[in-house]
Amino acid sequence: MAATPPSPVGLTRRCPRTERGQGWRERAPGMVRGHGPVGVRCGCSRGVYAAPLSPLGWGTSDCSPGGVRPALSGLPSLVLGVSGCGFSQVYVTDVYRVPAVRQALRSGTSSRRQFSGLARPPNSIAMDSNSQSNYKLSKTEKKFLRKQIKARHTLLRHEGIETVSYATQSLVVANGGLGNGVSRNQLLPVLEKYGLVDALLMPPHKPYSFVRYRTAEEAKKAYVTLNGKEIVDDLGQKILLYLNFVEKAQWKELGLQALPPGLMVVEEIISSEDEKMLLESINWTEDIDNQNVQKYLKHRRVKHFGYEFHYENNNVDKDMPLPGGLPGICDSFLEKWLKEGFIKHKPDQLTVNQYEPGHGIPAHIDTHSAFEDEIVSLSLGSEIVMDFKHPDGVTVPVMLPRRSLLVMTGESRYLWTHGITPRKFDTVQASKGLQSGIITSDVGDLTLSKRGMRTSFTFRKVRQTPCNCSYPLVCDSQMKETPPSFPESAREASQLEQDYVHRVYEEIAEHFSSTRHTPWPRVVEFLKSLPCGSLVADVGCGNGKYLGVNKELYMIGCDRSQKLVDICRERCFQALVCDALAVPLCSGSCDACISIAVIHHFSTAERRVAALQELVRLLRPGGQALVYVWAMEQEYNKKKSKYLRENRISQGKEEGTSSDTAMPELLVEQVPNVGSRDSECCVSSVTDLPEGGHKARTVTNAKLPVHTNRTSFPSQDLLVPWHHQGNPGEGKPGHPAGAHDPGPVFHRYYHVFCEGELEATCQTLNSVSILQSYYDQGNWCVILQKV
Amino acid sequence: MKLLTHNLLSSHVRGVGPRGFPLRLQATEVRINPVEFNPDFVARMIPKVEWAALLEAAETVRTLPHARVHLPGEWGGGEWSHRQPRARGGTPGDDLGLCPQLHLVEVPKGPIEGYEHDEKFLRQMHHVLLEVDVLEGTLQCPESGRLFPISRGIPNMLLSDEETET
Repeated sequence: MAATPPSPVGLTRRCPRTERGQGWRERAPGMVRGHGPVGVRCGCSRGVYAAPLSPLGWGTSDCSPGGVRPALSGLPSLVLGVSGCGFSQVYVTDVYRVPAVRQALRSGTSSRRQFSGLARPPNSIAMDSNSQSNYKLSKTEKKFLRKQIKARHTLLRHEGIETVSYATQSLVVANGGLGNGVSRNQLLPVLEKYGLVDALLMPPHKPYSFVRYRTAEEAKKAYVTLNGKEIVDDLGQKILLYLNFVEKAQWKELGLQALPPGLMVVEEIISSEDEKMLLESINWTEDIDNQNVQKYLKHRRVKHFGYEFHYENNNVDKDMPLPGGLPGICDSFLEKWLKEGFIKHKPDQLTVNQYEPGHGIPAHIDTHSAFEDEIVSLSLGSEIVMDFKHPDGVTVPVMLPRRSLLVMTGESRYLWTHGITPRKFDTVQASKGLQSGIITSDVGDLTLSKRGMRTSFTFRKVRQTPCNCSYPLVCDSQMKETPPSFPESAREASQLEQDYVHRVYEEIAEHFSSTRHTPWPRVVEFLKSLPCGSLVADVGCGNGKYLGVNKELYMIGCDRSQKLVDICRERCFQALVCDALAVPLCSGSCDACISIAVIHHFSTAERRVAALQELVRLLRPGGQALVYVWAMEQEYNKKKSKYLRENRISQGKEEGTSSDTAMPELLVEQVPNVGSRDSECCVSSVTDLPEGGHKARTVTNAKLPVHTNRTSFPSQDLLVPWHHQGNPGEGKPGHPAGAHDPGPVFHRYYHVFCEGELEATCQTLNSVSILQSYYDQGNWCVILQKV
Repeated sequence: MKLLTHNLLSSHVRGVGPRGFPLRLQATEVRINPVEFNPDFVARMIPKVEWAALLEAAETVRTLPHARVHLPGEWGGGEWSHRQPRARGGTPGDDLGLCPQLHLVEVPKGPIEGYEHDEKFLRQMHHVLLEVDVLEGTLQCPESGRLFPISRGIPNMLLSDEETET
């Protein structure tokens, strides 16, 4: 070898085959020092670039984060650069393909001898870097190498798994995963042949696994032998495994899961003989009913007893019971289960479902109005994994063993959907065998279970009265209620506010208070700017958030909600219950007033003006009032308000923010033209006022739209959902502390103000001047002064 | 409800206007709450006080039987239900604000000359305005006779729809 490095023959920066090479970095962590920019590597399997020859020569070294390490495999590689494709090593299959090498040879700057012995076939035998073998690789060997590189590439790009080319204890086995039909009991014996396996980690639904051997030597053996080896999967198909070293196994871990509330699985509730008897008792002969039903069911066979279940509307006809009722043999079981307390009510409807492997049922909630709370399902013939999904997106897979009874009540019956994925294998826990329970996310314990023919007997009680559950959004009985409309008179306005403001706050008071603990800075600023000994009224004080901000003031809070005022009282503030339109304080008695997020609850412009007028009445001459109302424009000056930004899907753990913390939900109705965003509409709502009486409405009986939380407002008058939580901080028996029941949804009425509307409204008041007008975190604000 | 708050309350029954002040206080249960003495604060309150109304309200509290006045320290904060009679006598002028019962304290008839610097006066006013808490009772509109209940220290001044309709 030449003593001095030959002159650089040319730096290619693009892969000649794929033209890739973007993001070329000349220095990478662990870059071979002193060699300067050396190579471009590319993810394509043939990618190799030529590089100026370094004093190290064309060696079998590679750079990985952490420094240069000698390559183990003996596979020739030219390392050293990091391209945008992110591959950390490049394999040369044919060193003479490298243009720079050819160039160097042609120009005589390098001799052939420098290259001999470097390109080596990547086979499992010749690991010895000393052996001199032919640099030409056979076709199959080249193909194999390509595939291995492709596997590495895919793992990196799609799964973020970084492979290394030096030997470690851990290997990633591409094509050997639960997701492509390879089960633990097939793979493990194969791996164990090469050494002691510390752990075999099989992430669910993934086409790869990780194996960790006791020593790197053993891993090396496996790597060398198994790479490209064929195994047979569960369905008898041939699979080629590709192995690569990794520093450590990495995959996304799911959080701890609990069974959906109200769910219970009772194992071995019937004996094998009973199971056989029940299965044989069903007569699956084709009759007219079945044929009608088959057109709705892609995957499974069904039979109904007691009442016919109609798949067109997913409901039963209560007035048309089927003759015969439930089969006689079921009676004895039902009586027994009632007596033993597994079920609380005697069902009167039975649906028998037969699922062949590969059959499933789409995720659904059993129609609220059709059936009572308790729904029980007996699994016969085969076990299966049923998926329960919460509207938040949490999915809990539950194993239902043979001869077990699934009992769904409460939340698991009314709110969570349940379904069975149509597939032939379920991912189950190896250690638990076929016991019931949640399928863990511990990838060290997962394997596949082949499905068999499963028959389920689902017993339900038909409902005779409309459903009245705590989950109105998914309840067909409750969703039928007529939504409220825009008020047309003062009485209607008062009634609307009673139903959609006062009643709601009384119900949600405690939960509401727990989310209202951070005083807004600019309100605090206003209060702190007042002189010592000022008398201040907080009209619509809520939970008294601002009553204690400045101890030098004497603040009296008023609110319409007794429960919220109770909370103020608990905090030792002075507060009373009254309406903001009739505040029982003497005129001119207050040095200042605040009304934060209150006036937007009044449903007509007249009432909003009246509320402002009342504030002014309370002020002494020269006194100031601060008013905050929710803005229509939740994005102002291109900045999204906090309300819009906090688009977290919460799982019931509420974190205090100063705006609603609620889950996004479906927009129920869109109403055209009620309070549109253009300023024309805003102005008209104010100029109509001097006429008094009712405004002419362009849309009569317009329904109020329901807003989707954390999105912009569709109209000025709308209902905003509040997702009520049960008692915060109280764990329910059997549930981990902090697990909350998503409770009912309440709708609150709001009239959100558009830009300038609040100011314009204030300008119609007597003896008032506007000192300041601004936008603060999704609210329009004014500071008024009584002249 | 503190007596200072009562001093600001006025009936808002329709048509009553300024004749709705002051609301006649009938207290059935009162508690004495120690409050930190801030002389500056009290001094600034004095000009805002309606003396006649204050004296009237103080009188009704003064005439309450002993059993209905809860003193600080009788039991833990916030318990309204069980009362235990306790030996009377506290130390007047205590720094912690454990003032003697209201009916032993003289309520000044009006602001005196140089009240801002008169600590005794200010302390008396402090006690009357801020330390007397009416827990149960009623407030009556002098003009219409309408009664507003005070329950757990909270006056409920909500009017029905008929009373507020214009």
